[in-house]
Amino acid sequence: MNWNFQLGIHPDADQLSVFVEGAATSREHEQMLAHLAECAECRKAVFFMQPHEEAQRAARTPVKGWILGRLLPVGLPAAALACGLVAVLIYLRPHGAAPPASQQVASLRKPEVILPPTAIAPSADSEMDQRSRLPRGVAPVNDLSRRDNLKLPTVNLPSSTGRQAAARVAAPETTTANLSANAPVGHAGGSAGGVIGRISPELPLNGRNYDRLENFAKLQQVPAPPVAQGAASQNSLAEKKDLGGLMIERAPAQDKTLAGVSGRITDRSGAVVAGVTVMLRDASGNTRGTTTGADGSFNLTGLPAGRYELTATASGFKTIEQSIELNPSQLAMMEPVLDAGKVSETVEVTSAAAQLQTESANVGQVITGQVVAEVPVVGREVGAPFGLPVTATVSHGKRLISLDSAGNLFLSRNGGKKWKKINPQWAGKAVRIELTPSYSNEAPAKPENETLGKANEAAVFLLTTDSGTAWTSKDGAHWRKQ
Amino acid sequence: MDIPPANINQTEPSGAEDCTASVAKGAAVEMELGPESRLLPEMLGEELWQAAGAEPIELSKAEFAEALEAIGAKDNFGLDPGKQPNGRQRELFWRALHLQELAIARGCALGRESAWRRFLAQYREPLTRAAVEMTGSVALGEELASALYSELFGLTEREGKRWSPLLRYSGRGSLMGWLRAILAQRRVNQYRKIGRETELGEIEPAARVSEQIELKQLEDLRAAIKMTLSAASAEERFVLSAYYLDQRTLHEISRVLRVHEATVSRKLKRATEHLRKELLRTLRGRGLSRRAAEEALGIDPRDVDINLRRLLQESAGGPNSNKERQE
Repeated sequence: MNWNFQLGIHPDADQLSVFVEGAATSREHEQMLAHLAECAECRKAVFFMQPHEEAQRAARTPVKGWILGRLLPVGLPAAALACGLVAVLIYLRPHGAAPPASQQVASLRKPEVILPPTAIAPSADSEMDQRSRLPRGVAPVNDLSRRDNLKLPTVNLPSSTGRQAAARVAAPETTTANLSANAPVGHAGGSAGGVIGRISPELPLNGRNYDRLENFAKLQQVPAPPVAQGAASQNSLAEKKDLGGLMIERAPAQDKTLAGVSGRITDRSGAVVAGVTVMLRDASGNTRGTTTGADGSFNLTGLPAGRYELTATASGFKTIEQSIELNPSQLAMMEPVLDAGKVSETVEVTSAAAQLQTESANVGQVITGQVVAEVPVVGREVGAPFGLPVTATVSHGKRLISLDSAGNLFLSRNGGKKWKKINPQWAGKAVRIELTPSYSNEAPAKPENETLGKANEAAVFLLTTDSGTAWTSKDGAHWRKQ
Repeated sequence: MDIPPANINQTEPSGAEDCTASVAKGAAVEMELGPESRLLPEMLGEELWQAAGAEPIELSKAEFAEALEAIGAKDNFGLDPGKQPNGRQRELFWRALHLQELAIARGCALGRESAWRRFLAQYREPLTRAAVEMTGSVALGEELASALYSELFGLTEREGKRWSPLLRYSGRGSLMGWLRAILAQRRVNQYRKIGRETELGEIEPAARVSEQIELKQLEDLRAAIKMTLSAASAEERFVLSAYYLDQRTLHEISRVLRVHEATVSRKLKRATEHLRKELLRTLRGRGLSRRAAEEALGIDPRDVDINLRRLLQESAGGPNSNKERQE
């Protein structure tokens, strides 16, 4: 047979193709291998016959295409149908299988505060209405947290936002008008018109605040530590305000080497003063500064231990300077009391004007720096329109300018109905907004301050940035560098 | 019954002579098979003829039946020589053939136009592509393919009779596989014509072996290898030759043997170790010390591979060179 190879006789193409395609019988296969082992040329031919790798791959592709082409049209709808069925089954499944959601959700009942209807004098309606629209720093949270600073020193180090969140849990429904402005006249002057003058002593603010504080303390599960001055009652609080001294307490051992200063700035009447620039200068002349919030509190942390000079500056108040010694990992509590400036005695404001322009500096500034917590303004729209707490607001006529804690400036031309953000033309952060001395210290009709130049006579608003630059503006929208 | 297949014999210089040599043989096949045509039952012949789609190719039932008879007789219906196939075995053999491709090949060989049209439509492009693959060049591939076309078309005539290599297609493998085999053989013929010197050059490392090993040792080694290889299985020998002599990759060998690459690797390793052991044993049996025998093969096992290659070349070159010397 032709499969019995002899030397020099080679298989023909038919035999080769049968072998390569695997169609040969085992005997033929063996014979072919035996020949190939000897014959280099037939080996070469056999290897030549192997389809190219790419050609093989290309040949495989149509098979894949066939699978995709034939199976996909059937498989895809089937898969979609299956998905639909599963969805329907899930939808139809009795929901009773899952435990009722209400059993798992803890509900937090808001503490109800019944405000005495006599809190506001009947004649205060129009005034309060107007006030509610004013962009005063409405920050019950801060107010509480300020007291927290007093009573619960261990809660000092958490960030202010944390405190706010906690405080919101404690009193979420609180609507408090915190009418703070850095107007120069303190409440102690006693020259204000009747309405506002009546609010502070008559409203049972302090007691309620204390109740809230107790709630807050319970929520925090932190027992109020017995502070030396005894912060258990408003009376003791008042005492504490009067101390105005320096109180060193141990800060939580978060930072072993750094110290901090925290505190609250009040005026002689005990009202907190917002927008006070607090500067700390160390021995080498480096300064750190901040501004008190709407609750009059300030907080400076991360300070190296050492001796510092603290300076508190506020428009309308005498600048005070104190020296403090900071020890490592200690948090100094300070409560400086600002004295009103000399111009406070010269203000003459009629009661009618006070009713209309309650917070305006040019009508007496009776409530300057006054914390009016929880003023009953039910049903009125009171709130920070800018998302952040307002640190200061000044007004001139119907123009109001508010500065929030982020340094943004907002202008209202219609007494607070509409607000517009002022695009900063200055570099850095605006830290203080006030009226120029010619408008703030004097009655508008008779400017007596001759220290300012002619160019500043028309300027109404004075802005100070964190770099110390002063900008003035006549209308609040257009600013000029001093 | 002994029919030598198409020759790509080293003694024949060209493929043309190869073809002419086969003409008479192909005719002889047909002449001899005539009387046996009755082996194919008429019903089966009709069925197979229809299954092959032979009618549109203008291939008559008689012609198709004759082809089937000839193929069956040539390969003894797939049985070992000497065994007499029964009717069932014959039927299975015929049914297993690529009937449609066989019909086309026969139609082309007999010069039927419709068969040629179908052949060109189906195989012209793949054939050219395969030729380009083999030659690695578009020009050479197309040249190879067109030369094969003219040959397949039956332009060669001997004794007034048109003859095409397609007559030798049996239908046991695919027609495309057969065409690739023809192409590969033609390509090897080309190699031999243009590259004999190159191929001889490939044996060059053997000279270095000769330098390393003394002549007596070389003769011993040659004889030992011949003996060891003859004892090894055909597959082992093929793997050794393809790997060490042709320097084929394991992947290429695995495709020929239709097994996995890892299997080839295993077989190769086993064959190499076996060969080395056998060689050592043979050499020591011929009086060499163990150390001398190891030196002859290369002490470092890593050298065994390369030395085996050289030795195999020596061994494979031996008979040929002897033969050439005889000629």
